[in-house]
Amino acid sequence: MTELKMIPVETDVLVIGGGLAGCMAAINAAGEGDLKVTLAEKSNTMASGCAASGIDHFWGYIPPVHEKMGYTLEDMAEDHRVGIAFGLFRKDLFMLVAGTLYDRVLDLEKWGINFRYEDSKAPGKFRIVEQFHSVPAAFNMDGAPLKPTLTREAKRRGVTILNRVQMTDLIIDNGQVAGGVGIGTRTGDIYFIKAKAVVMSNGRSNRLSRNQTGFDFNTRLPSPLSGDGTSMAMRIGLPIINGEFLGSRLLAPCGNYNPNYGDPRNTVQPAARIVDNAGNVIAPRTQFYDWEKLGKEPFDAAESRRRWLEERKVWRGGRSTLPKRVAQGEGPFYLDFTDATEYEANYIAWSIKNEGKGTQFMRYFEGEEGLDLRENPQEYAGWANRELSGTAAKGLWVTKDLETDIRNLFGAGDEVGGLPWAAGPGAITMGWHAGGMAANRARGQKAFLAPSEDTAKARREFCSAILESKRGFHWKEVELHIQNLMDFYCGEVRGESMLRRGLERLEYVRSAPLRAENPHELARCMDVLSIMDSAELVLRASIERKESRPSHDFRRSDYPDQDDKNWLVFLATKRENDGTFSFKKMPVDR
Amino acid sequence: MALKHIYFNEEACTGCNTCVDICMCDKLAPNPEKGKPPVEMYPEECWFCGCCVTHCPQTEKGAIQIKTPFQMRGSFKKQKA
Repeated sequence: MTELKMIPVETDVLVIGGGLAGCMAAINAAGEGDLKVTLAEKSNTMASGCAASGIDHFWGYIPPVHEKMGYTLEDMAEDHRVGIAFGLFRKDLFMLVAGTLYDRVLDLEKWGINFRYEDSKAPGKFRIVEQFHSVPAAFNMDGAPLKPTLTREAKRRGVTILNRVQMTDLIIDNGQVAGGVGIGTRTGDIYFIKAKAVVMSNGRSNRLSRNQTGFDFNTRLPSPLSGDGTSMAMRIGLPIINGEFLGSRLLAPCGNYNPNYGDPRNTVQPAARIVDNAGNVIAPRTQFYDWEKLGKEPFDAAESRRRWLEERKVWRGGRSTLPKRVAQGEGPFYLDFTDATEYEANYIAWSIKNEGKGTQFMRYFEGEEGLDLRENPQEYAGWANRELSGTAAKGLWVTKDLETDIRNLFGAGDEVGGLPWAAGPGAITMGWHAGGMAANRARGQKAFLAPSEDTAKARREFCSAILESKRGFHWKEVELHIQNLMDFYCGEVRGESMLRRGLERLEYVRSAPLRAENPHELARCMDVLSIMDSAELVLRASIERKESRPSHDFRRSDYPDQDDKNWLVFLATKRENDGTFSFKKMPVDR
Repeated sequence: MALKHIYFNEEACTGCNTCVDICMCDKLAPNPEKGKPPVEMYPEECWFCGCCVTHCPQTEKGAIQIKTPFQMRGSFKKQKA
């Protein structure tokens, strides 16, 4: 067959991954107009990443509200450390995210995203709701157009967006990043990109467990997220933290659909509650904050935290018991909005429409099913895929300025480890900061390093072999094998001998030749190779963490007790040049 | 009957291929015949984000519609197929 085309690119700043974090990084890096900024995205930045079809809320420190309340950024940090991170916490990253979120909100507003509501009684006419902290601390917004808005702003600033380009390798030269290699997902072209500074923003790792419906891309997180960044980072020897925290299966409301909106709080607050078959309330509903009270009541952060942790124990505890109760023959259990007021029902519908797969979900719910939110409780009936995100906060180990161990290589968003539920706010704040950092480094460097073409040539040969293979396996068969392997050997309770057997089996999986009939299938093969690397990370890190940690859904039969003395740390897993793995304990912030 | 859950209204669809360009899973392909609706190349590779429907310039006319696969339907207290 004809040789795959090699496309050389030179750029001052390369951003890998065009979700929220990557777009913000590119936008900031291009701000002064003096640098060439290139953004490589495996899908299309108009609809990619966790915010593809929108987000309806961002958490952060909101001075107009919180200063009036008497709630400080330190109070919020402690809420997050105790109630969300359960002690595995990067406070410096939290301060960056929570502390600069408001500035980024004002930027998004400038670019056309609406944050103000006529019926709001909060300062600035913002809609501020409860999410992850002891007081309301999340902006609502009309977030469905987020990705098109950021795409437009990036283009306006002269960013070169390379859509349908999946990066596969980073190139390092003398301890500094020199560029990367990628493939065209529709063309099979090999991109050999020279860059002075790089931001990695590939988001969360997905597709590590079987999907219960048998419809494999019906995952809670977007299916294209295959942990490409984790794979690239591992292969150049960067330490990844929290790789062991692949969670258990939770039950999902409107089971099987996986609408990926927050339940029973977040998106569907305040009217949502969890009830059992008899109508007993397992997790109660909330009320909107009474804005008339703002600044009029004395505020005690410790008391606020105590009350909030109690409430969270009830509803999270309630929700997390559902799988066990169902396994013991109890149920059905429902997410129930039937006592919502009209205002609340309208709010919930609006919130869902701006979040995740929400627009499509409402179209399905109201359209195809002909249902009314207030009339028809949604059943917790389907298993959501296991996730290596959220509380797990798996990702790159970085400095407070988001730099990795490799000079000029930065991380942003969910690519970065150590801040649980960084999610949207983490993406837009870290993206912005990493973009600024990368730009400054690029500015300070006159010439490109001279990265060897070897990596690009090797990738081209590798891809050609897959396209020419006669006896290789279809990517889907290999992916299913990995998912089965993870569910079996790396289950919800783990033990060393099974984890090691899982690694043996993974070696066997790695030996399987792949076959693709076209560039689309080739790109899927690259997804699967990334998934393989995340699988290895989870298995090896699980063996190394010799304790159980229920807060992180991490349970070992051979080490059943939590051991804070030795394991209240981040475990960093690193793949060495010779393919062996080394581990290091990194300190948490107290 | 092959797996299918993206439906095009041939009268309303102009073949602009916005849905093809925007699909995060790259599951649609342009029709070889210009002006005709796209082809659903990879029906199993869909995240159901609905961006194809949201961004379709003819969405009001129902040029592209998603029909949720049966095994993916939600479970609600009262429900008819």
